Amino acid sequence: MTILIFTLVLLLSAYCAGLLGSLTGLGGGVVIIPVLTLGFGIDFHYAIGAALVSSIATSSGSGSAYVKEGMTNVRLGMFLEIATSIGAVCGAAVAIYLNNNIIAVIYGCVLLLTAAMQQRRKSDHDGVRGSSLARRLKLYGTFPQKDGSLKAYELHHVGGGFSVMYVAGVLSGILGIGSGVLKVLAMDALMKVPFKVSTTTSNFMMGVTACASAVIYVQRGIIEPGLACPVLIGVLLGALTGARLLKKMDVRVLRQIFCVAITLVALNMIWQGLAGSY
Amino acid sequence: MIPIRILIAGTLRIGVATACIIATVGGVLYLLAHGSEPFDIARYLHFSYTEPHDPAFTTLGGILSGFCSFTAVGWIQTGVLVLLLTPVLRVLISLFDFLRERDWLYAAICAIVLAVIISNSLEGALM
Repeated sequence: MTILIFTLVLLLSAYCAGLLGSLTGLGGGVVIIPVLTLGFGIDFHYAIGAALVSSIATSSGSGSAYVKEGMTNVRLGMFLEIATSIGAVCGAAVAIYLNNNIIAVIYGCVLLLTAAMQQRRKSDHDGVRGSSLARRLKLYGTFPQKDGSLKAYELHHVGGGFSVMYVAGVLSGILGIGSGVLKVLAMDALMKVPFKVSTTTSNFMMGVTACASAVIYVQRGIIEPGLACPVLIGVLLGALTGARLLKKMDVRVLRQIFCVAITLVALNMIWQGLAGSY
Repeated sequence: MIPIRILIAGTLRIGVATACIIATVGGVLYLLAHGSEPFDIARYLHFSYTEPHDPAFTTLGGILSGFCSFTAVGWIQTGVLVLLLTPVLRVLISLFDFLRERDWLYAAICAIVLAVIISNSLEGALM
């Protein structure tokens, strides 16, 4: 095999990962790690570097549309980014001490949680009364509904949400993924932010979170140009195609199939990690 | 006056597009130079923190000098750096917007996030 063929295969795989990640709402970074490690046998560290780059690309690329529509809560995102960016710095510091097996187990657990969260009901959390801290921080907002009208919402449990965001940041720093699952968990389940606002704000925050640890990753040599380049381009194009398709496609069945698939991948990773085979 | 969310959305889109174009140029250069060589997966099978890495893709100086002398690695990594700068720029724009609105609380929050990112990057750069 020549380098040209490997690069094209990688580009195509990354495109599919970006497409699937966007259609299922998981993000391209989550899908690319198993593709590189289980599919190609690449070291977890290089896979994490490639995922980190593609997380930032998809967050900024597909996130911009939601910011424009006014779906994203920029204030909420900025405030919680304090927790995620500090977390990401801690995660990147801890990552040096973790070998491939430990990383595989942690990643597998995040995937399992992701699969479980896919089953959650998407709620707008009507009638939530904001806590006084949330009001003082101006953490409320409106979001556009299907008919074009704006709907107001409030939120509470700011401290709890902030703490979960710190954990999400640590995981981002270790795994290079956006850890959208924990971010949505914090906003949707704890703070009672409407589901659509939670997912778009989580996506918005990923870029900054990943950025906090990314420079260190470049210096460690984890972001390898031969892998990063095709993965970055492939995942981004895949995510953009996915965003177009999402408007006309019913993805419920795809999400269910995918949910089973990532559960199997997760169990495989945890098993191999515990057996020490990486 | 452009609304802030339009400005942020535009920054993100343009930043990603620029990064992607620069990295694509690098990728094409890389394939033109090395595309026909046999591929050896072994180089990606094991990563080590202790082995020294080529400064051409791990240091700012190495990356930028590669960019100026038109090397493939220099261009790909410059694309990555532009990508990393995009969210930072987004925070910076928000900071100015909150200052303009005299929303001191959120200006301070933006400043904290910026400080975390910049201090962590500088600490790494000096290592």
